[in-house]
Amino acid sequence: MAQFYPGTSQVAQNRRNFTDPDYELEKLREISDEDVVKILGHRAPGEEYKSVHPPLDEMDEPDCVVRELVAPIDGAKAGDRIRYIQFVDSMYFAPAHPFLRARSYLNRFRGVDTGTLSGRQVIEARERDVERISKELLETEYFDTARTGIRGKSVHGHSLRLDEDGLMFDMLRRQVFNKETGIVEMVKDQIGRDLDEPVILGEPLDENTLKEKTTIYRIDGEAYKDDKDAVEVLHKIHITRSFGAYNPEAGW
Amino acid sequence: MDIEIFPHRVLGSDTTEKILNDLESLEDVRRTVIQGPRFPNEDTLPAKYRERRVIQVNGENITLKVKTGRIFVELTMESTIDEIEKICEKYISFGFDINQSRTNYIRKQRTVSDNLKYGEMDLPDELIGMTDQYSKFDEHVSIIKKDDLD
Repeated sequence: MAQFYPGTSQVAQNRRNFTDPDYELEKLREISDEDVVKILGHRAPGEEYKSVHPPLDEMDEPDCVVRELVAPIDGAKAGDRIRYIQFVDSMYFAPAHPFLRARSYLNRFRGVDTGTLSGRQVIEARERDVERISKELLETEYFDTARTGIRGKSVHGHSLRLDEDGLMFDMLRRQVFNKETGIVEMVKDQIGRDLDEPVILGEPLDENTLKEKTTIYRIDGEAYKDDKDAVEVLHKIHITRSFGAYNPEAGW
Repeated sequence: MDIEIFPHRVLGSDTTEKILNDLESLEDVRRTVIQGPRFPNEDTLPAKYRERRVIQVNGENITLKVKTGRIFVELTMESTIDEIEKICEKYISFGFDINQSRTNYIRKQRTVSDNLKYGEMDLPDELIGMTDQYSKFDEHVSIIKKDDLD
């Protein structure tokens, strides 16, 4: 059995859930295909996919064992452009966080490239696959409308204080809180261009649910030092790596 | 002496209005500075999303320019801090810190920037340190008359 993450805490369990491709993540909201396209901002809804090469079937490909072994993803088959979606996860109990996203993306999706920074996580793939993946990322536990931001540019906010209504700070105000309905709406696409109609993302999760769902160890939630198993494994990795890398003959 | 009120979340206009009104009602509070991220240009946004608005403090209209991340308060007596703490507890439900580690949170001396900006003119003591040196004075300072009725 694959071992994804050590630890006995709820945070560790949530991390295992995200990284295990067989675990079905809870679906929290519905976002239509058209709304996903609007949020991404790579093409207008209904517009044809632009392509960078002819469909694979029409191309004269060289004889290659790997090409025979690996089934191309839909976008590659059609010759789509590479496009992306990028998320920011607040350190205030966001459901996912960048490193975990990287591990789970690579375990769950084929034909993607992902890049991790301290507060942001980008995923790149062929356009129609990015749309399919984005829909999954936005509808499931990966996303909370208040603590996760969809930010293609001006990517910031993960370590900033939250707004009074619980939203992560965004200087471009892409996701805004509708005071009348208590629902978060997206009024700009991921790089901050105005949308004609706001996309309704849904109600933010409450603080207790977030604390149950989070994958972030925090001293005011579940502290890392209290998760003895996880610390022990980390310690072991640290020692083996140090001795193994610097002086394998010394032993320990 | 100055203190800094540091709420654990950035305050919206409504809460800012309430806190400022209560702070201004304290006899001992001399000057107040709010500091935080600037509001974006909201002209194109429908009203239900707008955060920037005109607030009333002691009956006077002030157009908020920033979201309240910190409040600096100048006062003279240590006992006022307890009263301020009570006001904060009333309005800030998610926690706050009151910091006193520095003697000055609001600058008290004239600087070279002030000289460049105002030249040789006499700047009253209570206006020193009230402005952001990169912006125009009247955009950022509201002078509120003390409420002397009670």
